[in-house]
Amino acid sequence: MENALFYLMALGAVIGSLGVISAKNPIVSVLSLLGTFFCLAVIYLLAGFQFLAAAQILVYAGAIMVLFLFVIMLLNLGGEQAPWLSSETLRARRAPLAILVSIGFTVLTFVGILRHDEVQAANAGLGEADTIDGLARLLFGSYLLPFEAASVLLLAAAVAVIVLAKREREPRLGGKG
Amino acid sequence: MNVPNEHLLILAGLLFSIGVGGFFLRRNLIVVLMSIELMLNAANLTFIAGSRMHSTPGEVNLHGPMFALFVIMVAAVEASVGLALVIALYRRKQTVSLDSLNELGD
Repeated sequence: MENALFYLMALGAVIGSLGVISAKNPIVSVLSLLGTFFCLAVIYLLAGFQFLAAAQILVYAGAIMVLFLFVIMLLNLGGEQAPWLSSETLRARRAPLAILVSIGFTVLTFVGILRHDEVQAANAGLGEADTIDGLARLLFGSYLLPFEAASVLLLAAAVAVIVLAKREREPRLGGKG
Repeated sequence: MNVPNEHLLILAGLLFSIGVGGFFLRRNLIVVLMSIELMLNAANLTFIAGSRMHSTPGEVNLHGPMFALFVIMVAAVEASVGLALVIALYRRKQTVSLDSLNELGD
C-alpha cells in the first residue's frame, strides 16, 4: 500500500516536472512545479521525515511558488491564456468547484474525527521515528554554526532583493531606468 | 515504506535530468529558475535516500534531512534573489528572455 503510494507519487513528480519544462504558459509551469513539490512532500512523509515534508510544503509550496506567481503576475507574463485558465471558464466553474472542495474537506474532517483510532494506528506505522526531536538536537548542536550562517545569508539576501528590485529614482543615462 | 533506495535515487536522477533539460531548453528566465528549483529538489531526494541507506533499524540517520533543510533554505534565497534580478531585468529591457542578454557577447 505504502509502496504503491510511493510509485504513484514518483509518477506524479515526473509528470509534473515534465509539465514544468514543457508548458508554454509560465503559470502552468508554476502549478506543475507545485504538484511536483506536493508529491515529493508525500514521499518524504512516507520515508518517515515528517518535519522535512512540512518544511517542503511551507517553504517551497507556500513561499517560493507564491513568490514566482507574484513575479509572473507583477510582470504580466501570463502570455496567451490557456482556455481552462481564462476568467470566464473559472467564473462558470467557481460554484461547483467551491461546493466540491467544501464537501471534500468536511468528509475528510469527519472521517478523521470519527475513525481516529484507525488514523492513529496508520500514523504510528507511517514514521519509524519521530524525527523532529533529533533534528532539533542536531540543529542546535553540531549544526549550530551553519544555522547561524544561514541567518546571515538570509539577511544578506533580503537586503540584496530590496536593493535589486527597488525602482530607481532617476533614469540613468543610456538606460530606460 | 520499504521501497529499495535505488528507486529513490532513480527518481532523483530523473527529476535532476528533467531540470537540466529545462535549464538548457527554455529561454524564459522564470522557467529556468524553476528548473533550478527542480534540480535542488532532486538533490534533496538524494539526501533522503542517503539518510535511509545509513539508517539502522534502531536509529534514524538525521544528517540527510538536515542537509535537505539547508538546501531548502538556500533555494529560498536563490529564488528571491533570482526573481529580484528578473524584475530588474524587466524594468530595463521589458523582457525576461535569456536571448536578450547579449551585451557582453557582441
